[in-house]
Amino acid sequence: MYVYDPVDQQLVEQRVAQFADQTRRFLDGQLTEDDFRVLRLQNGLYIQRHAPMLRVAIPYGMLASRQLRTLAHIARKWDRGYGHFSTRQNIQFNWPKLEDVPAILAELATVQMHAIQTSGNCIRNTTTDHFAGVAPDELVDPLVWCEIIRQWSTLHPEFAFLPRKFKIAVSGAVEDRAAVGVHDIGLQAVERDGKLGFRVWVGGGLGRTPIVGKLINPFVEWQDLLTYLQAALRVYNLHGRRDNKYKARIKILVKDLTPEVYAQQVDEEWQRIKGGPDTITQEFVDTIKSRFVWPQYDASAASDIDNTAALAAADKRFARWLRTNVHAHKVAGYAAVTVSLKPTGVPPGDITADQMDAVADLADDFGFGELRVSHEQNLILADVRRARLHELWLKLESLNLATPNIGLLSNIIACPGGDFCALANAVSIPVAEAIQRQFDDLDYLFEIGELDLNISGCINSCGHHHVGHIGILGVDKAGEEWYQVTVGGRQNGAAKPLPDLESTHGGGAAIGRIIGPSFARHQVPGVVDRLIRTYLGLRDSEAERFIDVVDRVGIDPFKQDVYADPAFAKPAPVAEAAHV
Amino acid sequence: MSEIYAHDAPGPHLIRNGRLEADTSRPFVPEPEVPAEGQVPADEPGWIVPLSVWKTSRATLRRHKHPVAVLLNPDADLTDLADADGTLHPEGIAFIAVDFPVYTDGRGYSLAQLLRTRYQWQGELRAVGDVMIDTIHYQARVGFDSFLVKPGHDPHKALDAFKTFTVHYQKTYLAPTPAAATA
Repeated sequence: MYVYDPVDQQLVEQRVAQFADQTRRFLDGQLTEDDFRVLRLQNGLYIQRHAPMLRVAIPYGMLASRQLRTLAHIARKWDRGYGHFSTRQNIQFNWPKLEDVPAILAELATVQMHAIQTSGNCIRNTTTDHFAGVAPDELVDPLVWCEIIRQWSTLHPEFAFLPRKFKIAVSGAVEDRAAVGVHDIGLQAVERDGKLGFRVWVGGGLGRTPIVGKLINPFVEWQDLLTYLQAALRVYNLHGRRDNKYKARIKILVKDLTPEVYAQQVDEEWQRIKGGPDTITQEFVDTIKSRFVWPQYDASAASDIDNTAALAAADKRFARWLRTNVHAHKVAGYAAVTVSLKPTGVPPGDITADQMDAVADLADDFGFGELRVSHEQNLILADVRRARLHELWLKLESLNLATPNIGLLSNIIACPGGDFCALANAVSIPVAEAIQRQFDDLDYLFEIGELDLNISGCINSCGHHHVGHIGILGVDKAGEEWYQVTVGGRQNGAAKPLPDLESTHGGGAAIGRIIGPSFARHQVPGVVDRLIRTYLGLRDSEAERFIDVVDRVGIDPFKQDVYADPAFAKPAPVAEAAHV
Repeated sequence: MSEIYAHDAPGPHLIRNGRLEADTSRPFVPEPEVPAEGQVPADEPGWIVPLSVWKTSRATLRRHKHPVAVLLNPDADLTDLADADGTLHPEGIAFIAVDFPVYTDGRGYSLAQLLRTRYQWQGELRAVGDVMIDTIHYQARVGFDSFLVKPGHDPHKALDAFKTFTVHYQKTYLAPTPAAATA
């Protein structure tokens, strides 16, 4: 966990003071609605369907137990006793009052937290692998690099008013769990001739024009990372489209120029600033590293008396949880554990204040007081001693936080949808719940195996439906909500190793393909079930996942089966849909 | 908007040399009917000319007793400002102004950085247009040293805004103070 130095703290406090003044001027009528809008967005404050929504940054998903307790306190004092973890490792409060926001920010600053650049057309919270620092397949710990990028991008004077929002993801491992292929810039750590560097993908993203990023530089040496980013952002800031917000993301610029020309323009700019004052020194990396408090692993953990296997043999429920929610760790005797925020009936990513406090206690007891937030909207206890897994499971069970569904169909990623969000065309949460209810048989879920199901309430794609193995998108047709289904999306590499050329395209991410006409809300769970049955009939073994079958046979068999089914051939009348 | 003008503090709106002064400059608008080429303002103090005028008539303007200011739009091509040798020669230029048509158009920030670094512009660099209390800090950091604060924003509060942040992460950008606004 990174610990603020006095500069970090002062900067956050000065931002709180600045925003308090801006809010006061707005409330006093000294700042127009137009002038205030972007200023508040740059501090994560939206005006939503029911109330303002405040998005608090959790930089690269790292959260300390005392921070989580403060979030619980905020949820109780200024909200309605819960929070919502977003798909970008942030947390959102849906019910604060505008005039309370300065006080909330001041409270956050006491635990080294803020809402800086969680919205607006600026560089957003840098995201990473939720197993950063503990994954066995890691080439480099991305946390240090994320912190370096966090500092560089925070209140950057040149890039505060970009054409559109800008998201950076960093992966330090062999398997890309940061979805680098679907970010404005994706950085993948690589080693060349014994030197560390980054592959740079640009122009990936979801939204209404889903595109997988293009590799514009196969190796930027670590010293040059910030000057390269500066050059990449400068070209975008000057030349990205500003006449049409739907064409303003960097992906459109890269497409219009062609990746080659964009890369060349970046390179020209870079050559002028490369080696300049923003060059990263080893001393700086060491300083940032030294401000992290790193877990002090117990070497004797490897020889702990561990009866986990025996307990699992005796208890199927524990065995299931071990299989899905417990993950490999780089240190012998330790494991990473996912705390599932996806029980049936709870909006994906939602957590109550009481659960926050309880999880904070568990983090202190089991995990060096640290947690991670995953983009799949779950929490991770990254450093749990294996010998204590059963003890932890029992506690999580009692908190309704041990649903054994990580990697399975019911671990649905969903945006808040039309129940909360003013942008949404359709609801997400009730659809997620209906699907979870359809698939409430755990044996069946395990039989289906690994499957990402993602739901977005509108084309802004906050629920990342484009990269779900099955994606569901709420669309509006003449004032009615409909749901479009895609299959074959994925956020990272395929099961089989990609040929090197292909692996240079966005880490193997793929955008899902639409199977056909949209469905009424009440049809969606049945459609998912139909897709699953087609998959089960086609797979050659249990090891062949849904996404692998789509890769092998294409979408046609799925399409045919769904639309041949009389239940889905024609959308049900609207009146019927209204009963759901 | 009219309501907000009611809050306007009377007096000057231009921050220059770290204090407020009256803005004495006036825009030179070429006749639209006539080709811009050859159109120059009279040899008097205070003119701001569009980049197109500077580009076509820099030799004439440089013979003037009174240098002109050059106004850049956000989509300005800085090579038009430079001479044929690619470098920016300051002769004849009173100051360079960069227009912010709306404060959310951030191109002016990169233009300012390029003027200060790549083109080595040492003279006055003025932010004009949608310049707010809330943008001045960033504008000072990228190299602006004079600021025409827009109506509705108290210029005295704008002067204070240089102190909004006393610490910064980005090493290559300036750390502004009102004193640093004195070029």
